[in-house]
Amino acid sequence: MNLVARILASKIVALAILSGVGVCLLVVPALTNQLGANPIERLLHVSGEIAIWTLGFVLSLAPLRVLFPGSTIVNALNRHRRYIGVSACIYAVVHFSCHLLYQGDLEDVLQSFSKPFIWFGLTGLAILVSLGLTSNNWSVRKLGGKRWKLLHRLAYVAAIVLIYHQTIAGKGHWYIARWLLILLVALEGARLAKKFWSTKPSAARVREVPR
Amino acid sequence: MYIRNKLSWQLPDSAVTSQSNYVGRRQFLRTFGLGLAAGALLPSVAPAATFGFPDSLNAAESLPGVKLTPYDNILAYNNFYEWGLEKGDPKENSNNGWKTEPWTIEIGGMCTKPGKYDVDDFIKAVGGIEQRNYRHRCVEAWSMVIPWDGFALSKVVAMAQPKPEAKYLQFTSFMDPKNCPAQRSQDFPWPYTEGLTLPESTNELAFLATGIYGKPLLNQNGAPIRLVVPWKYGFKGAKSLVRIDFVAQQPKTLWNQMAPNEYGFYANVNPGVDHPRWSQKTERIIGAGFFGGRQPTLKFNGYEKEVAGLYAGLDLRQNF
Repeated sequence: MNLVARILASKIVALAILSGVGVCLLVVPALTNQLGANPIERLLHVSGEIAIWTLGFVLSLAPLRVLFPGSTIVNALNRHRRYIGVSACIYAVVHFSCHLLYQGDLEDVLQSFSKPFIWFGLTGLAILVSLGLTSNNWSVRKLGGKRWKLLHRLAYVAAIVLIYHQTIAGKGHWYIARWLLILLVALEGARLAKKFWSTKPSAARVREVPR
Repeated sequence: MYIRNKLSWQLPDSAVTSQSNYVGRRQFLRTFGLGLAAGALLPSVAPAATFGFPDSLNAAESLPGVKLTPYDNILAYNNFYEWGLEKGDPKENSNNGWKTEPWTIEIGGMCTKPGKYDVDDFIKAVGGIEQRNYRHRCVEAWSMVIPWDGFALSKVVAMAQPKPEAKYLQFTSFMDPKNCPAQRSQDFPWPYTEGLTLPESTNELAFLATGIYGKPLLNQNGAPIRLVVPWKYGFKGAKSLVRIDFVAQQPKTLWNQMAPNEYGFYANVNPGVDHPRWSQKTERIIGAGFFGGRQPTLKFNGYEKEVAGLYAGLDLRQNF
């Protein structure tokens, strides 16, 4: 267990996994002609899935730390929250680029911006890009810890907007989107419950220093 | 003119062979190899409705000059939600023991000659099959051109003799939760149902398909028999049919129940009426590759001359 935690704590390993997902699911299939009959559509869907699940992953880390303060693995993963969050932003940008490619020409792209479905995606993207651009020590210093944290709470807004974006992408079913929503709601619920009922406040009030 | 007609009718197989020429030998080898591999890996795949093959091309529906979609694209890129949400899922999941042979189809409802048929007997009863090349436009803004084998739906209507109160046809797909895990969940109101008005059903273009490229339908394409309505979005083409009923009221359809604002009953291909989430003005051509681009979508998918009369006086924006 300790070994796994130590491996996961490594920056190199974290970066390899985060970029490896994109390499294995997007780049390799594209280069080896494994994307099927409608390649850009496939890239569009897969990159969107990677982006939203990466976002869901990073948002689950804070409640996990509260729920399992002693877990070395959770603590190791929490060291990489910045990398994971920035990855979610990068995959969202890839997803948006695929949308531009899929539309083909400027007229179709502009046309697509008239759809509420696309507005939700763009709102989420705008939030993720702003958070991605301020995910550095300079921004934390410039904004001050409190304001920076408040700004980065927008990640939850992005998650809600993007889960809705994913839901309406599903033609009336929300097969995939619902699992992410259930997961996040359950974790946040458990975190709040623990905070509320905890007899030892010190265990619940974990340091929330921005990294 | 005369010679051309004679050729296409007298040498029925040549139509298919010559069309596969443009695909190229490599394409053919790949398809052929794929079939062999599938046969070796999946011994449970049974032939679907085989009656009537080989058939000949209906010269009136040959779409001269239009490029047919390669066979392996038609086999591997499918919306068939009973077998999964991804386009590659139906090919993978519908060939794991789901048997489409033998198959029974029932014609019922408000008609004077209802009946229950083995699907091969059914094809025999309507007089066999022919090949038609139809444009296929999915509501998701992609398109194919498919050489279907089958027969005009109007023959079924003529055979069943609808009663005067019958105004619509309802099409019902298979229901087999034992072999189809998705049908065990409540996420969709299975079985898949679709519908047409009676005049739409008797239009010469409305078609029941039993094959593609001169071969019986494979499971992922809706074996052994499915509806094809080339001037409507693809989801109207209910697959793996077990029932066709003559009814008085507009039938409920699966996608209309799931998302009524996105999928109307008529679902006529119309570049002038957007989907709520995307434009329908253009379509991506399947098989054209990574930078294959898009082409303009035609009203009624290019069959305006044949079907526009069905909708005289109907507001197509309202009745999308």
